[in-house]
Amino acid sequence: MRRMWAVATNTIRQALRMKVAAIFIVLLLVLLPVLVCTASGDGTLKGRLQTFVSYGLSLTSLLLSLLTIIVSVYSITSDIEHRQIYTVVTKPIRRYELIVGKFLGVIVLDVALLTLFAGIIYGCAVLVPRFVRTSPEDRTQIDNEFYTARASLVPPQVDVSEEVKALYRKLEAEDQLEAAFPRSTPVEIRKQLTRRFQLEKRAADVGRVRIWEFRNVRPSDPNQQSLFVRFKYDVSVTPADEQVYGDWRIGDLRGLQNGTPVDTPVWRVSRRDPVRKFREIEVPASVVAKDGYLAVGFMNPTWNETVVLFPVEDGLEVLYKADSFLANFVRGALLILFRLVFLACLGMMAASFLSFPGAILFCLAVFVTGATSSGILESFGYMSKNVGIVYRYTIEAVIHLLPQFDQSNPTQFLVPARLISWTLIGRVALGMVCLKGAVVLILALVIFSFRELAKVVV
Amino acid sequence: MDYAIETVALTKVFSDWWGRAKVYAVDDLNLQIRPNEVFGLLGPNGSGKTTTIKMLLGLLHPTKGHSLILGGDGTHPKISARVGFLPEESYLYRFLNARETLDFYGRLFGLDSKTREMRTEALLEMVGLKAVASRPVGTYSKGMARRIGLAQALINDPDLLILDEPTTGLDPIGTRQIKDLIIKLAERGKTVLLCSHLLADVEDVCDRIAILYGGKVRAHGRVKDLLQRTNKRQILTDSLSDATAERIRELLRQEHAECEISSPMERLETFFINTVTEAQQHATPTSGAVSTTQIGEFLTVGARQGDILDELVAAPVSETAQTGPVQTDKPAPREAVTPEPDKDLLSKLTQPASSPTVEAVTPDRKPSGDVPETPLQPERVKKSVLDELTGRRQSDGSTVQPSEDRAEDGGHA
Repeated sequence: MRRMWAVATNTIRQALRMKVAAIFIVLLLVLLPVLVCTASGDGTLKGRLQTFVSYGLSLTSLLLSLLTIIVSVYSITSDIEHRQIYTVVTKPIRRYELIVGKFLGVIVLDVALLTLFAGIIYGCAVLVPRFVRTSPEDRTQIDNEFYTARASLVPPQVDVSEEVKALYRKLEAEDQLEAAFPRSTPVEIRKQLTRRFQLEKRAADVGRVRIWEFRNVRPSDPNQQSLFVRFKYDVSVTPADEQVYGDWRIGDLRGLQNGTPVDTPVWRVSRRDPVRKFREIEVPASVVAKDGYLAVGFMNPTWNETVVLFPVEDGLEVLYKADSFLANFVRGALLILFRLVFLACLGMMAASFLSFPGAILFCLAVFVTGATSSGILESFGYMSKNVGIVYRYTIEAVIHLLPQFDQSNPTQFLVPARLISWTLIGRVALGMVCLKGAVVLILALVIFSFRELAKVVV
Repeated sequence: MDYAIETVALTKVFSDWWGRAKVYAVDDLNLQIRPNEVFGLLGPNGSGKTTTIKMLLGLLHPTKGHSLILGGDGTHPKISARVGFLPEESYLYRFLNARETLDFYGRLFGLDSKTREMRTEALLEMVGLKAVASRPVGTYSKGMARRIGLAQALINDPDLLILDEPTTGLDPIGTRQIKDLIIKLAERGKTVLLCSHLLADVEDVCDRIAILYGGKVRAHGRVKDLLQRTNKRQILTDSLSDATAERIRELLRQEHAECEISSPMERLETFFINTVTEAQQHATPTSGAVSTTQIGEFLTVGARQGDILDELVAAPVSETAQTGPVQTDKPAPREAVTPEPDKDLLSKLTQPASSPTVEAVTPDRKPSGDVPETPLQPERVKKSVLDELTGRRQSDGSTVQPSEDRAEDGGHA
C-alpha cells in the first residue's frame, strides 16, 4: 500500500507540476466567475440560476473528464516513452501495484478538483440571490423550484396490448391493414397502434374528465411544502390563441367518487395555459392522503372545443420536495465522479497498450460516444429498417457496453430541481464503476503485467 | 554454486511485424556471475549488453532460456528489493528535484521515512548534489543526472548492483569516483555487474569480463589473464642515472633483448583531478555538481540494515575534510618503488606466466600493451579514497583478493 501511495503522490505531482492540471484549473477558475456574471437564462432569477448551474456543472464535468483522460494516459505513456518505468518497475513493486497506484493518484486528484469546483458552483448558486435584487415572489419561486430536490411521479403506462391485438386482428380480417398503414411491417403497425391507444388513455375529450392516481407520495414535510403538478398540453385542433382552459382537482378524490368523507383538502384550480409548453400548478403538500394516495383530475371544459392530450413521455407528472438542494447537489457531484472514475479506468487501459496519441484518441472516441449515446441510438433507430440486423449486433451492442454518460448527467436533474435518488446513484455506481470500470481496469492490469516495457533497441 | 546472476541459454530475437525473426540481439547466452564479483560486460554498440540486462530485470521477455538473479526471478519484489539498477541513461522524473527523486525511490522500496531521509542526505552528499538538491532534475546536466541516477540505484543498499554504462556523461572526477565506489562496494561483499564499452573503466575495476558481439560471448575470463602479455616485462624504478641505465641495457643485450628507457608520463586523469581539486580548495564557485570523495557510509557497512542507522548518524564527513591531504600526493611520477628488486617478484618474473583462458576468439589484447606487472606497493590496501584518486593503485597481478587484482593502468614504462 505504501508503494502504491508513493506512485499515487508522484502521479499527482506530475499532473500538477507538468502544468497539465494547471491549465484546466486556471480555465475553470476563470470561466466559472464569468459564467456567474453572464448567465441570464430567460431573464428571471430562476432562469439565471438554472443556466449557471447547468453550464457550470457541464463545463466542470467536461473539463475534468478531459483532464482525467489526459492525466491517466499521460502518466503511463510518458513513463514508458521517457523510460522512467525502467527504474520504477525494477524496484520491488508489482506492475499491477504501479497501475493501481497511478489510478489512485488520478482519483484523488479528481476528488480534490471536483470538490473544489462543485463547491465554487454551489457557493455561487446559493449566493447569487443575495447580490441580485429579488422580489419576494422570485424568492419563493426559486425556493420551490430550484433550491430543492423534488421527487417526480409519472403516471404508469397503461397496458394496451389486448386492445392493440384486437384491433390488429380486426383490420387484418377486413383486409384493411395495407390501406391504413401503407408499406409497414407488422411490428411497425403494432408499434403505431400501441402509441395511439396509449395516447387515447391520456386524452380528455371535450367536456370529459381524466383522472390519474398516484400512490406512495411521501413529501418530507407535508404541512410546510408545496406539491407541483407539471404538465404539457397537446391538442387535436390548435385554438386561435394557442391557449387551453383547464379545470383541475388535486387531492384525495376517492371521497368525491365514493361519497366518503376525507380529512385532507381537495384543491380546485381553473386556469388558462398555452399549448405545448411546460407549466406547473402549485398546491400545498397537505392534499396528499395519510396513506400516500393522491389523485389528479383534469376536466376539459366544453368551450375548449378540442381534445386535450398529455403526451406519453412528459405530459404529466407530480413533483414534491423530497430532499434538500445541497444533498441533491452532492449526489450530482457523485454522478460526475463516477464518470471520472470510469474514464480513469479507461485511460489506464488504453495507455497500457497504446502510445499517447493513440490512447487519447481511443478514450475521446469512447467518451464522445458515451456522452451522446442516446442521440446515436436514436439516429440509428431511424435507419434500422434497412440495416437492422447488422446494426443491432454491432454498433448498438457496443454502445450498450459503453457507459451512457448522458443518462447520468446531473444537470438534467439539478436544473428542474429533480431528486437524484440513491437508487439512481446505486445503479450508476454499480453499472459504470463496479462493472464496466472494474472490467476495464482489470484488463489494463493484465495487459500491463504481461507486456514488454522496454523498447526494441539493437 | 549459487551465482549472483546466472543466465541459461538466454536468447532474444527481435522479429518484424509478421513474426519473422530479424535480429538475434542476444544469442544463447550463458553467463555465471559469482557473488562478490565485479563483472564487466563489454561489447560494441548493439552487441546485446543492454538487452541482456533488460531481460535480467524483466523489462524484456526472453525468446528462449531464462535467467536467475540472486537465485530467483528478477521481477519478484523479494529479489528486486536487493538489486540496484542504473539504466543506460538516467531516466528521471523531470519535475521532481533530487531530494524528492531519492525519496520517491526510497518509498518504492518501502523504506520508512527516517531511513529514507538519512540515506537521501548521505547519497546526495556522496554524489555531490547537496547544493542543488532542490532544483528540478529536469534542469540537470547529463553528468548531474547520471549522479542522481547512481544515487537512486544505491538507496536500498543493494546486494547486487547492475550498472549500465555508469560513467557516460560524467567528468573524470565523477568517473573516478564511480570506479572507486564500485571497488569499495565489492570490498564490502556486494556483486556488481558493469556494462560498458569504455574499456578503461572496465579494466580498472572488473575482476572478470565477458566480451559480447552479436549477442554471443566472444571471450571471457579474468581481466589480468586476458590482458597479460607474457612476452613482455616492465621494470619501474626511481630516477635512474644514465650509467645505471646503460648497465641495464648492457645486461639485457647479453640476453638478446631490447629495452626502452624513458620517464613515465603522468596520466591525464590524475593531472585533471589534481587541478580541479586545487581549484576547489580556492573555493571557485560552480553551478554544477560538487565532487566529493566520500562514499555513502551506509553502503560500506558490512553488516545489514540494523547497523545502518547507527552508521548514518555517525557517518557524515564534512566536505572540507577531503580537500586536505590532496596536496601530499603531488602530480609527480609514482615514486613508491622498491629500490632493490623484491626477491619474490624476481623469481616470479622469471617464471613463465600462465596463459589466459580464452574462448572462441583471440581476446582483444590491449594493443599498446602497457599493463604489465609492476612492483608491489607495500601499503596499498587500506588507503584513503584520495590516494586512490591520485592513481596510486597499481596492478600487481598476483593476488586473488578482489580488492587487489583489479588491474589499473600502471603507467608507461
